[in-house]
Amino acid sequence: MALKGLDIFKLSPKKNCKECGCPTCMAFSMKVAQGAIDVSACPYFAPEALAKLSAATEPPMKTIKVGAGDAEMTLGGETVLFRHEKTFVSKTRYASAVCDCMDAAAVDARLADIAKVDYERIGERMFVEMIYVNHSSEAVSDYVEIVKKAAATGRVLVLGCTDVELAKAALAVCKDSKPILNGADASNYEAMNAVATEAGVVLGVSGANLSEIHDTVEKLEGLGNKNLVIDVTGENVKDTFANAVQVRKAALKDGDRTFGYPSIVNTAKIAMGDSHKQAALLSLFTMKYGSIVIAENISYAEALPLYGLRQNLFTDPQKPMKVEPGIYPLNGADENSICLTTVDFALTYFLVSGELERSGVPVNLIISDAGGLSVLTSWAAGKFSAGTIAKFFEEAKIEEKVKSRKLVIPGKVAVLKGEIEAKLPNWEVIIAPNEAVQLVKFMKDFA
Amino acid sequence: MPFTAKSGKFNASINTVEIGSGDKAVKIGGENVLPLYSFDAPIENAPKVGIEITDFGMDNEPDCVKKYYEGCESIADIAKKAASFEGVDFLCFRMEGGDPNGANKSTEELIGALKEVAAAVDLPIVAAGCKNAEKDAELLSKAAEALDGRNAMLLAAKEENYKTVGAAAGLAYKQIVGAESAVDINLAKQLNVLIGQLGVNSKSIVMNVGTAAAGYGFEYVVSTMDRIKAAALSQNDANLQMPIVTPVASETWSVKEAMASEADVPEWGDQEARGIDMEVETAMAVIASGSNAVILKHPTSIATITNLVKELV
Amino acid sequence: MTLFDVVFSGNDTVYGLTEGAINGAIEKHGADKAIAFPNTAYSLPCYYGVTGTKVATLGELKDALGVVKSLMTREKRLNDAFMSGVATALCAEFIEVLKYMDGAVPYEEPCYGHLADAVIRELGVPLVTGDIPGVAVILGSAPTAQEGVELVKSYQAQGILVTLVGGIIDQCEEMGYKTGANVRVIPLGKDVTSVIHVVSVAVRAALIFGNIQPGDAAGLMKYTFERVPAFVNAFAPLDPVIVACGAGAIALGFPVITNEETFRVPKSLIVQKDVSKFNATSLEARDIKIKITNIDIPVAFASAFEGEIIRRGDMQVEFDGSRVDCCELVHAKEASEIEDHKIEVIGPDIDEMEVGSKNSIAYVVEVAGKNMQADFEPVFERKFHSYLNCIEGVMHTGQRDMIRIRISKDAFAAGFRAKHIGEVLYAKVKSEFAAVVDKCQVKIYTDPAECTKIRHEVATPMFDKRDERLMTLTDEGVEVYYSCIMCQAFSPSHVCVVTPERLGLCGAVSWLDAKATHQLDPEGPCQVITKERIIDERIGEYEDVNEAVRKFSQGALEDVSLYSIIEKPMTSCGCFECICGIEPLSNGVCIANREYAGMTPIGMTFPELASMTGGGVQTPGFMGHGKHFIASKKFMKAEGGVARIVWMPKDLKDQVAERLNETAKEMYGIENFVDMIGDETVAEDPETLLAFLEEKGHPALSMEPMM
Repeated sequence: MALKGLDIFKLSPKKNCKECGCPTCMAFSMKVAQGAIDVSACPYFAPEALAKLSAATEPPMKTIKVGAGDAEMTLGGETVLFRHEKTFVSKTRYASAVCDCMDAAAVDARLADIAKVDYERIGERMFVEMIYVNHSSEAVSDYVEIVKKAAATGRVLVLGCTDVELAKAALAVCKDSKPILNGADASNYEAMNAVATEAGVVLGVSGANLSEIHDTVEKLEGLGNKNLVIDVTGENVKDTFANAVQVRKAALKDGDRTFGYPSIVNTAKIAMGDSHKQAALLSLFTMKYGSIVIAENISYAEALPLYGLRQNLFTDPQKPMKVEPGIYPLNGADENSICLTTVDFALTYFLVSGELERSGVPVNLIISDAGGLSVLTSWAAGKFSAGTIAKFFEEAKIEEKVKSRKLVIPGKVAVLKGEIEAKLPNWEVIIAPNEAVQLVKFMKDFA
Repeated sequence: MPFTAKSGKFNASINTVEIGSGDKAVKIGGENVLPLYSFDAPIENAPKVGIEITDFGMDNEPDCVKKYYEGCESIADIAKKAASFEGVDFLCFRMEGGDPNGANKSTEELIGALKEVAAAVDLPIVAAGCKNAEKDAELLSKAAEALDGRNAMLLAAKEENYKTVGAAAGLAYKQIVGAESAVDINLAKQLNVLIGQLGVNSKSIVMNVGTAAAGYGFEYVVSTMDRIKAAALSQNDANLQMPIVTPVASETWSVKEAMASEADVPEWGDQEARGIDMEVETAMAVIASGSNAVILKHPTSIATITNLVKELV
Repeated sequence: MTLFDVVFSGNDTVYGLTEGAINGAIEKHGADKAIAFPNTAYSLPCYYGVTGTKVATLGELKDALGVVKSLMTREKRLNDAFMSGVATALCAEFIEVLKYMDGAVPYEEPCYGHLADAVIRELGVPLVTGDIPGVAVILGSAPTAQEGVELVKSYQAQGILVTLVGGIIDQCEEMGYKTGANVRVIPLGKDVTSVIHVVSVAVRAALIFGNIQPGDAAGLMKYTFERVPAFVNAFAPLDPVIVACGAGAIALGFPVITNEETFRVPKSLIVQKDVSKFNATSLEARDIKIKITNIDIPVAFASAFEGEIIRRGDMQVEFDGSRVDCCELVHAKEASEIEDHKIEVIGPDIDEMEVGSKNSIAYVVEVAGKNMQADFEPVFERKFHSYLNCIEGVMHTGQRDMIRIRISKDAFAAGFRAKHIGEVLYAKVKSEFAAVVDKCQVKIYTDPAECTKIRHEVATPMFDKRDERLMTLTDEGVEVYYSCIMCQAFSPSHVCVVTPERLGLCGAVSWLDAKATHQLDPEGPCQVITKERIIDERIGEYEDVNEAVRKFSQGALEDVSLYSIIEKPMTSCGCFECICGIEPLSNGVCIANREYAGMTPIGMTFPELASMTGGGVQTPGFMGHGKHFIASKKFMKAEGGVARIVWMPKDLKDQVAERLNETAKEMYGIENFVDMIGDETVAEDPETLLAFLEEKGHPALSMEPMM
């Protein structure tokens, strides 16, 4: 049971010295409870209080950092099994695979494919963040060469290599970019541990079953290595799913700290050659507990839904997604096209813009900052009012950018019509229907 | 130290609902574990996959779907063809054209088409309305009558029309009543209670708790389903133990990621692959969240999901 | 002769006829001769429904008659009369089925006789949904054909299904009135026994729609009573057979209304001499409410007009409560004092007022209903603003006696007059509050003297009384609290417990609101929480409340207290108006409201506080609440009450000052307590605040340590 802020405050020095960066000890304690700041930021915490606190606040799942510089990312650190309980913290990362069983041309082609998927969605860059470099028993190319090429892309590497010497050679060319060495198992963990520790990289652990993995992790921890990830990929889809869920559940629900590490799922292994099946598995393991999910070759087809799904899933359940305020011209709208305004709540935006697109009528969709709330909620909270709309029109210089003076507002806030017309005297305010689905007909009739 | 997993089996379970009649009838629900957690306890009925066709036939379908129905001349042909694809457990006929704001087809015309579809196949039938609550009340009442004896599922009774749809489907013709609410556990529960108060047997109710395409507010879908399953299983809330059916195709085959042509967005590549992946990724995500049945459109999507679900359960 | 004697004799007569008919038929056709109604799987439906036994031959019919005889007990008790009524109905069914022997077609146009199962399925759905709000059974001949047809027409206009038996059928024909299933006026037959065909509809509806098991007579009668909104209109003269049939109807829960001076049984056998009032009397007796689908006004009514502003130049007339006497009022009355849909205009109409003039108006909406409570009056009243604004060309602002209404020239030209205000209020109140309003009438006063009188002699005392009730409502003074889970869509585990002294933390749901919400939508977001099992009075913890919170949070929350911020504090969703949090140095709490953008002495801003307090998680030391709660005597009562408040933003202080001062004076005898509370002009850090509090001698400093 995590400590409440007030309990932490009772242990705090209560001097309000501000050295931690917080104005008061109370504020500091509340942030520690939230996990927003580490208790070590306070120089005055009594040692016994600190011991009591760290035992209680040690996370059930470790946060592991991989990659270097701009490419650095965190894995794990989750505290809950379901997103409605609390925000998931480290989003799933995706990798496409290259392998020394491919010839050089195929590897180059794959690396080129990886670079292709790169776009922005609601303020987030979407791309294949990792490359899985697999060492096969039927190698036709030089592994280290492939690692070099892959490292040159700047993506974080996961080296799938159980050969200790080869791993060492591969790390020699890429360790500064902080890859993951996914190569330890029950048979080689000591040697692999030495290689990974020396190179200062995260070590991936796999095994025939969960018991073997559990055992190997315990032994690695015994050797002092807690910089680990667990490869939960099993023989088939069913085992892999069971492993992914059991490991996460054991760590977060049953307090088994040995399994408190991020996971790797390799869908290329269990669904080789079937891109749609891999697509479904990418989705499944995004939902259920993959920290890194690998597919053979993530193209736009897999990526577009997948990144959308991830963006949805890894959101604060209490903070709705927002879109940027601004003018969004739809269906080839220009400055003469009519304007329609709604709130910046992402769900509303998608619904409304989707229906507007279906209508085919050119329209300038104007989104102002409404606190990321739905139409009625933001209206009730005073964040979507004649005042806020008029203010946004002024700030964003809408009247300079658009010549049309017709503004369609959501039917649910028809009550704003008069006030908006008073504040924006040049505009004719038109009332849209209450529901987005009715927009298609409304827009067509209107046009 | 070896690892011993703690069982996540619950004392409560999801209701089992049978849809259809005869050899082809399918059962959904019945599990006493979280979705797909067959390692906690056996899952008797794997999630089922339906295929969706509409009263517009192939008129509004993208080419990548149309090509599978080549040679079909009537709605009955289309239905037969749809039923023949690998992995199809049931057939959903969506009477999209009934929408008064759209084609506004008459109830008679649509029910005529529904009867042709029903006569053409022996699979379980799902009759879905046009999303307009008022028209659906009429449409689905008549559909319940037209499908008398088929133990069909009607999608869906909503807050605005649950009395008519519930009474016609659940009471007059003893069909399965789909209860549709908008991604909110309390609305879902309230609707189930209200339909129950009409006198409809709770074992004849399935829920559509709302859905979205992946990326389009899907977090609400996930959290709603997660919470419903938790309440049904760990709190033994009988008003939420109805199995969940999720129409996926109607959501995914309208977003731009699936529908934009390759000519319009060349960098995105093949439209068919995008359409399928949007459909399978959304379907897999709703199944992982607790859907006991999904309704899809593309034959490849259906085969992919059916096979994967078999492997998982 | 008593009513019992009449029923018994009518029953005996019918029994005798039935026995004779069956014996005659057996003699003629033999006991094995098959008998059945066409197109039903429930033959004979009424007998099958009551006994669970199907009858297929004349021999079985004879046996069945024996069973019927056993119902005909002759004690002078109500139950005997009812059972004799049922026996009469069953005899009627037997007589009727004999008519159908050998595939005969005993009824011809316009009569229907027996109705097929398919018709029942068809009619059953709108009956269950309320689209057919009732079933009228009209029996005999009206005093004149004209009156008979008017009655049928009145039901038909309300969507009520009308069945006709006897002379009324000829009267309709005589007047050329169209009948038939398609227009929902169904002539059954001219013999009194044909009334069984509508009883058969009710019985089969119970079997098909109510899942009643055949033979479960009690369940059957419960179903017909609760779910089949039928009633009988029997015209004089009544003979004993009709009275006996009527007893059967009453047994099924269907009241009988007649114009013959006869015995009266409250709510069951009702005498209404005036046939033109049969409709109203019947609807009231059977508790049937007619849905209002359109509002009879000459301009449009839609939410799209809600924000319409009418400028002076476009204005025909204005009613202005700030200059002359105006008011709006909802008044709960007895049902007998109200004539439904009566709209009166008392004083000059709009066309008698000068263009552009300021006038008086007072409109009183009088309502009655079995579930109506005076507490709902302000809840309805608050909606008037929205209702009137939805009228095209009408603008309404304010409330109570501070209202202003403008009517546009366009609306006036379209024919909009004072009574239309009444039409809108009537239609909206009746439809939106159908759960509690049975009858409604509207009085619109435009006569200035009347308005003055209504405002000062009726409205103001009522407003005062309501305010006083609100002020004096205490947590101890009520039997139950309410849960509110309106916010669960985005705060899944949060549950508000709304009490009279602690409104929902959003500030928008008072105990009265929650109560009304519950009454109007019993399955909705507000549910009753009992408060019978107290655990700890000091912090306000109840076993009942804990159980409710566990249930409504789906197990996420275990227990909450109502009055403590430290021990098991109530959770917050995220829509709180204010957050209070402990400020340890001064041994008190700081409160920040949503509008306040600056820093608080706790060291956190409102958004920072909100991020730790929201989401339905218990956060000891911090709590979201409504502004109104600040001056409550229950405000952190467990920690010593409002004396703990050491800091608030200045704006908020100004808003609550008056009431908070009163509370502090009453609780601690402190005058001008608010002056002792810091704000952002005094301090935004704990040290400066403490110095200020010491200077003022704030009571929190000498209270028990909070932690």
